[in-house]
Amino acid sequence: MSTKPPPATHRLGPQLGEVIDRTRPLRFTWDGAPHEGYAGDTIASALAAGGVRTFSRSFKYHRPRGILTASFHDPGCIVQAGDEPNVRAAHRRVEAGASVTPQNVWPSLRFDVRSANRAVSRFLPPGFYYKTFMKPERLWPTYQKVLKRFASGGRVSATAAIGYFDKRYAHPEVLVAGGGPAGMAAAVAAAEAGASVMLVEEEYDLGGHLRWGGAEELAFLAELRAAVAAQPGIEVLTNSAVTGRYDDNWVAVLQRGLPQHRERLIKARVGTLIVAPGLIERPYVFEGNDTPGVMLSTAVRRLIKLYAVRPGERAVVLSANADGDAAAADLERAGVQVAEVVDARRGGDVVRVRGSRSVAEVELGDGTKVACDLVVMAVGWTAPTGLLNMAGDRPAYRPEAARFLPGESLAPNVLAAGGLAGDGSLDQLVEHARAVGRRAATGEGAVPDLEVHAHPALFRGRTHGMVDLSEDISSKDIVAAAREGYDSVELVKRYTTVTMGPAQGKLETVNAVAVLAEATGRSIQATGTTVWRPPHVPITLGALAGRMFEPVRHSPMQSWHEAHGAVPLVAGQWIRPDRYGDPGAEVRNVRERVGIIDVTPLGKLDLRGPDVPKLLNQLYVNKWSKLEVGAVRYGVMCAEDGVVLDDGVTGHLGPDHYLMSTTSSGAATVWEWVESWLQTERREWRVHVTPVTTAYASINVAGPNSRELLGRLSDDVDLSSEAFPYMRVRTGSIAGVGSCFMWRIGFTGELSYEIHVPAAYGLHVWEALLDQGADLGAAPFGVEAQRIMRLEKGHAIVGQDTDGLTQGYGAALDWLIKLDKDDFAGKTELAWQHERGGYPMLVGLHPTDGSVVPDEASQIVDARNHIVGRITSSRWSPTLGRSVCLGFVARHLTEPGTVVTVQLPDGRRITAAVTPELASFDPEGVRLRG
Amino acid sequence: MRPSRYSALDLVRHGLGDRPWPRAWRQHDLAPAYDAVIVGGGVHGLATAYYLAANHGMTNVAVIDKGYIGGGGSGRNTAIIRSNYLTTEGVRFYDRSVKLYESLSAELNFNVMFSQRGHLTLAHNDGSLRTMRWRAEVNKLEGVDSEVIGPEEIKRLVPFMDTSTETRYPILGALYHPPGGTIRHDAVVWGYARGADARGVHIHQGTELVGIETDGDRVVGALTDRGRIATPIVVNCTAGWATLIADMVGVRLPIVTHPLQAAVTEPVKPFLGPVVVSGTLHVYVSQTDRGELVFGASTDAYTSYSMRGSLEFTEELAGHVLELMPSLAKLRVLRQWSGLCDITPDFSPLMGVTPVEGFFVDVGWGTYGFKAGPVAGEAMAALLATGTTPENIAGFDLARFPEGRLVGEKGAAAVGH
Amino acid sequence: MILVPCPHCGPRNVSEFRHVGEATARPDPASATPAQWRAYLYLRRNPAGWTTETWYHRAGCRAFFGAERHTVTNQFRRSWSGGEVSPLAGTPAELGGGVDASTAEGAPEP
Repeated sequence: MSTKPPPATHRLGPQLGEVIDRTRPLRFTWDGAPHEGYAGDTIASALAAGGVRTFSRSFKYHRPRGILTASFHDPGCIVQAGDEPNVRAAHRRVEAGASVTPQNVWPSLRFDVRSANRAVSRFLPPGFYYKTFMKPERLWPTYQKVLKRFASGGRVSATAAIGYFDKRYAHPEVLVAGGGPAGMAAAVAAAEAGASVMLVEEEYDLGGHLRWGGAEELAFLAELRAAVAAQPGIEVLTNSAVTGRYDDNWVAVLQRGLPQHRERLIKARVGTLIVAPGLIERPYVFEGNDTPGVMLSTAVRRLIKLYAVRPGERAVVLSANADGDAAAADLERAGVQVAEVVDARRGGDVVRVRGSRSVAEVELGDGTKVACDLVVMAVGWTAPTGLLNMAGDRPAYRPEAARFLPGESLAPNVLAAGGLAGDGSLDQLVEHARAVGRRAATGEGAVPDLEVHAHPALFRGRTHGMVDLSEDISSKDIVAAAREGYDSVELVKRYTTVTMGPAQGKLETVNAVAVLAEATGRSIQATGTTVWRPPHVPITLGALAGRMFEPVRHSPMQSWHEAHGAVPLVAGQWIRPDRYGDPGAEVRNVRERVGIIDVTPLGKLDLRGPDVPKLLNQLYVNKWSKLEVGAVRYGVMCAEDGVVLDDGVTGHLGPDHYLMSTTSSGAATVWEWVESWLQTERREWRVHVTPVTTAYASINVAGPNSRELLGRLSDDVDLSSEAFPYMRVRTGSIAGVGSCFMWRIGFTGELSYEIHVPAAYGLHVWEALLDQGADLGAAPFGVEAQRIMRLEKGHAIVGQDTDGLTQGYGAALDWLIKLDKDDFAGKTELAWQHERGGYPMLVGLHPTDGSVVPDEASQIVDARNHIVGRITSSRWSPTLGRSVCLGFVARHLTEPGTVVTVQLPDGRRITAAVTPELASFDPEGVRLRG
Repeated sequence: MRPSRYSALDLVRHGLGDRPWPRAWRQHDLAPAYDAVIVGGGVHGLATAYYLAANHGMTNVAVIDKGYIGGGGSGRNTAIIRSNYLTTEGVRFYDRSVKLYESLSAELNFNVMFSQRGHLTLAHNDGSLRTMRWRAEVNKLEGVDSEVIGPEEIKRLVPFMDTSTETRYPILGALYHPPGGTIRHDAVVWGYARGADARGVHIHQGTELVGIETDGDRVVGALTDRGRIATPIVVNCTAGWATLIADMVGVRLPIVTHPLQAAVTEPVKPFLGPVVVSGTLHVYVSQTDRGELVFGASTDAYTSYSMRGSLEFTEELAGHVLELMPSLAKLRVLRQWSGLCDITPDFSPLMGVTPVEGFFVDVGWGTYGFKAGPVAGEAMAALLATGTTPENIAGFDLARFPEGRLVGEKGAAAVGH
Repeated sequence: MILVPCPHCGPRNVSEFRHVGEATARPDPASATPAQWRAYLYLRRNPAGWTTETWYHRAGCRAFFGAERHTVTNQFRRSWSGGEVSPLAGTPAELGGGVDASTAEGAPEP
C-alpha cells in the first residue's frame, strides 16, 4: 500500500470557470490509501483526477460503479465518510484528513466476492425471493440472515455523538428553489419589486448549467451573480435545498455546510414559491450502460469545466441535442480523443457497451464497433416536478418534447420558471423568469408563455440495460414484471424496487415508465408516474429533530428536594420527589408525628362568578349548590359516556369565589373541559376561570402533630378543631406570607392541612415548616409514601384504579353519584349503568398471605382460567404490617369476604379476600376528623 | 386452477430456459353478476376473497379496487405483526392472525417474508409499565409469549438504545413479545391476490364503486365506473373510504378519518433486531431486510382525507427516534408518505352485519389493520358463506355502539395518569 | 403545517390548536334514548369535503370556536366565535392531558 497519493494523471490545466483552488491542496484517504485533491474538489472529482474509475459496487449484483452524472444524485458515487454513511461523493467537497471508504463491497472494491451474483443473475430476477425460501419454513430465519448480508448502505455506529443541529423560521415573501439563470433572474426581479427573497441553490455556487458553459455563458453568469449580490433583499443559501412544499406554502429548506453543524432545517412560511430547479439529464438504457466510463454529457462538462478533470482518453458521444454537441467540443478542447459523435437526431444509436471493469468498446447502431474508454450520452431531460406535485399539480407528459411539463392545477402561490416551465433561448428563459419574479412579488403582471421545443424521445435503445443503477433493475426486469401482472407503475415499482433507491426516481422514473408503457402497449401519459414525495433530497434525522426542547416542570421547592437526596419521579412533564429514603419510614413518621409533601403539581383552577355552583353541578357527579363559604367538598367528574375523568376537592373561598383542584396529570384536561362547557354548551353562565396550578406552591402537612406545627407558623387563623373542622378552608398568613389558604382534607387518613402558598414563597414556607417542626418530628415524605397511605385508606387513583372504560359506578362511587340532579356530564350513561348492573367493580383486596405483595396488573382468574378481574394498586402497608390492594372484580365476586385467585407474574397463584371497605386503615375516618 | 408453482427449482428452470412467468393474477371483464362483491383490494378484501374460495368453495366473487391492489393502507403501513393485546378476545383474535401469517408463505406458495424478530413496547413511566404488565399477564394466560423486561435486557436486545437514566423520559422497562415482527406487506397482498385469482375470484383493479343498489333494505347490486354488477352481497373492506361507501346505503359508522404518516431512511447495514415501539414518545421503528429504517408515530391530530404529509410529522418523529437511539443523527430520511386510518371510539374494528341486509363491513381498522388481514379475511369469509358470525369477531359488531358495549382495548387509553 | 384561522388571532400554525371535532348537537339528556345518546357520543358524518367543526386555540387565545373546513384540501372558508359555535361532543379521552388524543398513553399503535 503506497503512502503517497497517486499522481493527478487526469487533472487538466486551468479552466475558465473552475471551482478548485490550486493553491490549497488537501489530503484525504480513500479505501485506506492516501489521495490528494484541491479545495473545491468534490470527493469524486479529486479521485477522478487521480484516475480512479470505480467508486462502489451495485446493490444486488455488485457490479462496479463509476461516475454517471457527477452531481448530487450520482448513484455510483455514494460513500462512507468517517462515521457518516451514504455521503454523495460527487457533491460533497473534499475535507482535509477525511477517511472515505466505499460502501457495499466485500472484501474490497477491486475484487468483490458477491459479484459472483452476476453469474447467477438470470436466476435472481427482481422478486426472486417471493418465489422461494418458503420451505422448509424453519429455515426462513437462516435465509433471512443471508439476505441481510447483501443489504447495501453505509454503517451507523452505536456510539456516534448526536451532534448539534438547530432550526430556523423564515417568512420570505418569495422563495426561489434553484439558483440557475432562471432562479437568479426571478429572485432579482422579485427583489427589485420590493419583496424579501430567499434564493436556494443545491450546488456550492449559483449559476446552474451556466457554470460549465463557454466564455459567453460565464460572462453572463458573472452579470447575474453581480445582480443578485446587489440586492440586499435577497438572502442566498448555497449548498442548500428545498426538501418539501407542504400545505399553505410551508416550505422546508435544508441548509448545509454551516461552520457549527452540517445541516440546519429552515421552516419557511412562503408568500410565493418559485420552482426553478432546471432539468436533470436522463441516462439512456442499453446493454452495458452501467459500466464505469458511461457518463452523461453534463457529467463530462462538469468534470472538465468545474474540476479540470479529464474524464477519459478516447470518447464516443451519442448526442440528441445541443448540450451533447457542446460536450463533444469540450472533450476535444480538453485533449480527449473524440472518436465519433453519433447523432441521435439522425437515427444514430448506441447498441451496447463492452468492458468488465470499465468501458472498452462501444457497438453503434450501424454495426460499427469503436474502441474507447468513455461513452457520453445526451439523450434528453427529465423535469424534476416533485415540488410542483407536492403543491397539487399534475404535470402532463408532452410527447413532442419527451418530458413532463407543469399541469393546470398548480396552487396559486406556486410558480414555475426556467427549463421546468418550458424552452427557449437563454434570454427568453431569463425574461420569463423575471416576469415570474415580478408576479410572485406583486401578484400582478402577465407571464409570457414559453415555447415547448421538440426533442427526440429516447429512453431505451435496442437492447436491455439498467434503468435503476442503484437498485440494479434492468429494463428486462420491468418487462418481465409487467408480464407477470405487476403492470401498473406502482406495482412494478414495489415488485422490482425500481426508483426506490437514493435518487428516489429522479434518474429512473421516466425511463421506467417508458419501458413499462412499451411493455403494456400504453402511452407514457396513460401509464403515469409514481408519486413524488418529500423530502426532495434526503435530510438527516438530526436536522429534522433540531435541538430537542422538552420542558421540565419543577416546583419552587425542587432545589431543596435535590439537595436532600430525593429520588426523582417523572410524572408527565413534572419531576417530583418519589422518596427521600425509605418510604415505609416516611409513612410511619406521618402517622405518628408529622410529615410534609410537595403537592404543587396538583391542578388548581380559580373560579369566579355567580354561576360557579351551576358549573360544579354540571361537571361533578355530586351536589354543590349548598356548599357554604369556608367549606370544601370532594368531587368526581365523568365524561359524557360516564367514564371517570378526574377527581379533586373544590372549596368555596368567598362570595362567588371557588378554588377547584384536580389531579396533577388532569390539570390541563380539566381546565379545557371546564372552558369547553362555558364557551359552547353553557355560554350564558357567568364564570371566569384562571388556572393557578403554578401560581401556588402546595404543601400537605399531615400527621397528629400537624395542627401544632401549622399553628406555630400561622397567627391569624384559629386552627382549633371547633373553629376549623374537617373539610373546611381558611385564608391567612403562613410564616409571614399573606394570602395563603389552607384546607383541611385528608387523603392520607391523618389530621392534615393542604396549604397553598403564593409560589414565590414556597421554598421559604417549606423550610420554615421543617425548621419550626424539628422537635415535632417534621420530615418530608414523597409520592411513594403518599401512595401507600392513600391505598391504606382505599382512595382510588383516577387513571390507575380506573381505566378508559370505568364508568362511575364501577369505581365504587355510588355514595357520590346523585342521579336526582337535573343534568350533569355522564348522568345518562351512569343512570343506564346503574339500571343494568352487572358491571365489574373496584374493591379492596387482602392477600391471604399478608407477606405477599402482588404485582400491580396481576390478573384475577376463576377456576376455568378465565380472567375475572385484576389488581390495580398494590403495596406493602407498614401501618398494618401486611399487603393491601385495590382491584376490579366481576360483579358476582364483590361481596366482602369473597376469596379470589390472583395469578402472579412469576407463575404462582395466591388467594385474596374482598375487604368490607375500600379502606384498610381507620375506615371510619376518626383520625382525620380530630 | 392451480397457480404455476413458485420454488427454487422453478426459478432455476425459468432462468435456464429464459421462460417468462405467467401472470400472478389475471384481468377479466366485469361479469354482470357475482355472488359477492368485495370493495377494497387490500389485504382484508383479498384475504376474504381467498378464504371464501379456499375454505368455502365460493368462487363467483369479485374484488374491486379503484386503484391498484394494495394501494391503500396495505401498501402504506409499516408492516408490524404482533398479538400482544390487552384483552383476552383481542389476544385470541390477533394471535390467530399471527398463526396464519406463520404458515402463509407455504399456504399461498408466495414468500411473504414474515420476520419474527421480536417486538418491544417501551414503558417510560409506571403507568405505562403497569399497562405492559397487564398485557403480559393476559397474553401469558392465552399462551402467547410476552413478558415484561428491564432496561438491561432491553439494552442487550437493542445495543443502540439509550437505556440510561439521563434521558428526559428514562426507559423503565418494556413488553417483550418474541413472536412479533415485520412482514413484506406488498407480498401478502400479492400472495392473496394470486391465490384468490387461481381459485376463480375476479380481481378488478381500476374499478371504482360509485353506488350500491338496494331494494327496500336489501342489497341487489353494485354500481361501478365500469358498469353495474348484480349481487346480493357487498362487503366494505376499505380504509379511508369506509364512511363514503357506507353512506351509499345510509349506514352510519362511528368512524373519524385521520391521516397516519410514515417515513423511511436510506439503507444502512443491519443493526436493529426487534421492532421498537414507545407509547410515551409516540414512535415505532424497525429495520427492513434492505437496511432501511421504517418509522411511524401517532395519527395526525385532526381529521383529514389528505395524504400529502406534513413536515412537523417528520420533525417530531426524528426527535423521538433520536431520544431512543441518539447515534442515528446522521442517518437520512429518504421518503415520507401517508395513509388514511378510520378510528373508532374503542380502538377496535367494525366487523359483520349492518342494518342493511347484504351490506357487510370490515372497517374501522385504525392503525392496526394490516396485522389482522388473515384472521379478518378468514372470519368474514365464514360469515359471508355461512350466514353465522364467527365467535372471534362477535365483539366487533356495529351494534355494540348503540348498545354501549365498547371493546376492552379502550381500557388502556389512560385518562388521568 | 396548515394554517387555522382563529377568529380572534387570525391564521396561526395548526400546532397551536386542538381539533375538538365535528359539530354534533347534544341531545336533551332528560329525554334521549340510549341509542340517541350514543349516536351523539360516537357517530360522525366524517365527510370527505366541507365539514363544520370545533377547534380550540390551546396555545393562543384559549377560545373554542367553530370553523368550516374542507377535509381533503384542508382549506378553511369560515371561522367564528360566539352564537353558533357547535356544541362540544365526544369523551374527554379525546382531550387527554391537554394535548391530543393520539398522545394519550396507550393510544393505539400498529
